[in-house]
Amino acid sequence: MKCGIEIHQRLATEKKLFCGCSAQPSEDKPIATVERMQRAVAGELGDVDLAALHEYSRGRKYRYQIFPQTTCLVELDEEPPHSMNGEALEIAVEVCLLLNSKVVDEVEVMRKTVIDGSNTSGFQRTSIIGLGGFIETSKGRVGIEAICLEEESSGIVGEKAGEITYRLDRLGIPLVEIATSPDIKDAKHAREVAEKLGMILRATGKVQRGIGTIRQDINISVPEGARVEVKGAQELGLIETIVDKEVRRQEKLVKIKGELEKRFGKKRFEKPAVVEVTEIFKNSASKLLRKECLLAMKLTNFAGLLGEELYENRRLGTELSDYAVAKAGVGGIIHSDEKLEKYPISGEEVGRLREKIGAGAHDAFVLVAGDRKTCMRALEAVCERVLQAFEGPQNEVRKVLPDGGTSYMRPMPGSARLYPETDVPPIEISRKWVEGIKLPEMPEERKARLLKILNEELAEKIMLSENYPLFEKVVGELKVEAKFVATTLEETLVSLRREGVPVEKLNENKLMELFIEYKCGKFVKAAIPEILRRVSKNTGESISSAVEKLKLEKMGEAELRKIVEEKKKAGVSSKTLIQEIMREHRLRVDAEELSKVI
Amino acid sequence: MYSKEIQKKLKDLGVEIGDSVRVKRGDQVYEGILMPKEELGDSNAIVVKLSNGYAIGIKFEGAELEKLSGHRQIGFKSSDEKIKHIAGKPLISIISTGGTVASRVDYTTGGVQASYNASDLVSIVPELGSFNINSKFLFSMMSEDMTAEHWKEMAKAVYKELKTDTSGIIVTHGTDTMHFSTAALSFMLKDLNKPVVFTGSQRSSDRGSSDSFINMICSANFASKSDVAEVSLVMHGSSNDDFCYAHRGTKVRKLHTSKRDAFKSVNDEPLAKIFPDGKIEMTNCNYRKRCDGEVSLDDKLEEKVALIKTYPGMDPGIFDFYIGKKFKGFVIEGTGLGHVPTTIEGRSVIPKIREATKAGIPVCITSQCLFGRVHDFVYANLRKEFEAGAMFCGDMLPEVAYVKLMHVLAHSKDLEEIRKMMLTNIAGELNERTPVFEL
Repeated sequence: MKCGIEIHQRLATEKKLFCGCSAQPSEDKPIATVERMQRAVAGELGDVDLAALHEYSRGRKYRYQIFPQTTCLVELDEEPPHSMNGEALEIAVEVCLLLNSKVVDEVEVMRKTVIDGSNTSGFQRTSIIGLGGFIETSKGRVGIEAICLEEESSGIVGEKAGEITYRLDRLGIPLVEIATSPDIKDAKHAREVAEKLGMILRATGKVQRGIGTIRQDINISVPEGARVEVKGAQELGLIETIVDKEVRRQEKLVKIKGELEKRFGKKRFEKPAVVEVTEIFKNSASKLLRKECLLAMKLTNFAGLLGEELYENRRLGTELSDYAVAKAGVGGIIHSDEKLEKYPISGEEVGRLREKIGAGAHDAFVLVAGDRKTCMRALEAVCERVLQAFEGPQNEVRKVLPDGGTSYMRPMPGSARLYPETDVPPIEISRKWVEGIKLPEMPEERKARLLKILNEELAEKIMLSENYPLFEKVVGELKVEAKFVATTLEETLVSLRREGVPVEKLNENKLMELFIEYKCGKFVKAAIPEILRRVSKNTGESISSAVEKLKLEKMGEAELRKIVEEKKKAGVSSKTLIQEIMREHRLRVDAEELSKVI
Repeated sequence: MYSKEIQKKLKDLGVEIGDSVRVKRGDQVYEGILMPKEELGDSNAIVVKLSNGYAIGIKFEGAELEKLSGHRQIGFKSSDEKIKHIAGKPLISIISTGGTVASRVDYTTGGVQASYNASDLVSIVPELGSFNINSKFLFSMMSEDMTAEHWKEMAKAVYKELKTDTSGIIVTHGTDTMHFSTAALSFMLKDLNKPVVFTGSQRSSDRGSSDSFINMICSANFASKSDVAEVSLVMHGSSNDDFCYAHRGTKVRKLHTSKRDAFKSVNDEPLAKIFPDGKIEMTNCNYRKRCDGEVSLDDKLEEKVALIKTYPGMDPGIFDFYIGKKFKGFVIEGTGLGHVPTTIEGRSVIPKIREATKAGIPVCITSQCLFGRVHDFVYANLRKEFEAGAMFCGDMLPEVAYVKLMHVLAHSKDLEEIRKMMLTNIAGELNERTPVFEL
């Protein structure tokens, strides 16, 4: 097996890659939409890209949602790009250095043809920042092929009847793409490599966090198989399954190819005739089949093959269906290796169908329902896929399904899809500038250092947390005890979130304010959950005012003495004194100070 | 362009742009196609397109270059194929003058290259295949470089096509000064009998999202099917790819630097809405209709006309400069209703208007507001301007007044006659009433 992965990670810059819009996706509602068409155009070397043509053949309309802070005329493809975001370039160079990659002398911004509509311009701006490099893993070195800096595409909102809606807030967020060499040994290793790259990216402290901010594409091929790119794995946990299933799919397709060679020998598979069978299903019990037009096709010598399982719940028939769905937009196809009762289709109807199209016991059939034009396109797509079965697995792009399986998406794009972005000048990279870039600590070094001040569990939690920079600041500048800071940031906040407290509203400044007030002795550790509960819901309030309103100020020495005296007078024994006071005034008393007073 | 040093080295090695090369620099080895260098960037770095399609720049100093076998043609090669006319399809003429529309990216310069033969056009916009096309390459220039001479050339070329049995003419044009050209041809082609449609694009046609496809398709439909025997300008009607507007050639202006719907009708309604499927909805009933009459060409222009914008603090001496250069007419782009600096001595433009008028040089007043009409009476300062001899040009656009004055001055030297001609509608440039709503 050969396997390599591509990681796409959004960068946490203030602005987008080629305009002044905020790089934080919008939480607002869209304020307007525009509607566009796109078509295939020639690339730099005069070829029209295959993947581009494929999308064009679908003849779709695209609707783009506009958001106030994150959409300007650049995203609308109504204004040329501004110059490249220097902050993003610096982070990309930093990533190159961390991955031992050689930074190029001059960055050439390219246009990568993309006409699934996810870019309003019809292309994605992308450029190679670094070539070569490697990471060390438990199964040896894994090479890095290239590191690119590119624009994020628009987010898909929905698709209906030939129209896809995208949101433009995401378009143009800087994205680093890391492509590894095909050095990955197995499914488990793929996960390890993805995890390791993710950790290194997070170590920069300059990448976005949360769902959708990092995606993995996986390239897989088996001997006699083909290069398949599986797109859009968002969960690390799924990577092993994806690799495993794709390997099995390709291996099975190789076997099917062998079986076909056996069945056909020197005979050629003739392109089958399309036969109209609407009449047979005129009174069908299945609503699915009482359509304007039903077309069928005989697949000579294919009996049993369409039902061959590639992996759980995916058969050769599913692959045929994928093609029909992707290229003709039908809901699916019906084939002879399915349980036809489920539609329901009666034995009698099957008999009449087989008779009409001349399908014998060795033959399979495919049936589609809908309007005539769509049905014709669907059967053409099926036929194309059937012919490919004689060649084994195909080079193609597949998308991840929730179970880790994949389905056909589009043909593998060629190099024809890249040509120069003439609106952005090339960027010279000075060696001096590169050498001056301060590199973050690598995960191993950071962990070793943190283990001196934290236990292993807390060290692991905080080292890759988005709160890490804050942790360093509080511990380093305010000299607050590390364990307490880490616990507050990684445990207290998490348990409050689980309670439903909106802690995500607390920004770094607010948390910093909390530690400053703590350091000044305004309140005790035990009061923190109460304070955070209050300010999370009311972020406008200062920490000190919240403490006052909650009456959680730390007790001063005089007050403490008074309470101790009173308790003593009341006859509380010195044994239980501390316990009792702490029980009553836990949120306001520091146990250490109390014992000093006593 | 590559530096002299690199060019020499390439020559010595017999390496040409488009050749497969191997570049060694230190321990790094790169293989790919040698690409041309844009005018921008480091001329000492060579650009190599790798097998994955990406290009990178490699510092040439200390690098070893080796020629490998293999060569790619960079850029677009015009097709030699001739497309035969098929009976039954409407015949249109396409005259190409440059700009982004119906052109291909020229990777040698990073710019766009006009492609002008019919089969090239059809290869870019397949929908044009439903027309028989007479294509003519006139020039390939950016519209900011155009002069009155080019307008004359264009008028002649269009006139020649009008004499054929074409059903309409399309002129592809850079967008920046397209509205000057439409105005010029509106005055130069008398008694038009067929549509003459100018079109362009705001996004180059190398990208899938280009507006050029729909602009071309709508122009072809408007030129072949519409009843409008005027010079019009057809471009996107909105930011959507849904329809185009046909604007009257004397009532249109580019009002945005980069948007698809940059052109708007000013002080007039657009003539028609055109949909990519060929449907045409007339939005203005006041237009010249197709007819069998004879068109005539009147391409005389007086080029010594200046268009001057007034602004706070301007130096009126600019008029002396032009008068000294023997200019024959002025169009002033005044403020508001047509004001010029009036009362402060040494800053007032009024004496200049008086001087020019006395010398027989017409001074025409338009407004930099663009929308609305100028007025010669509502303020005292306007009256002073009028009394000095200025001609107030109603709702005419400054650019149109500029072109019209060139046309008028080529036909008369008499100030009163010039005034009469300037203030009489010739080609839809002057409207007596201003529409209430902008479309």
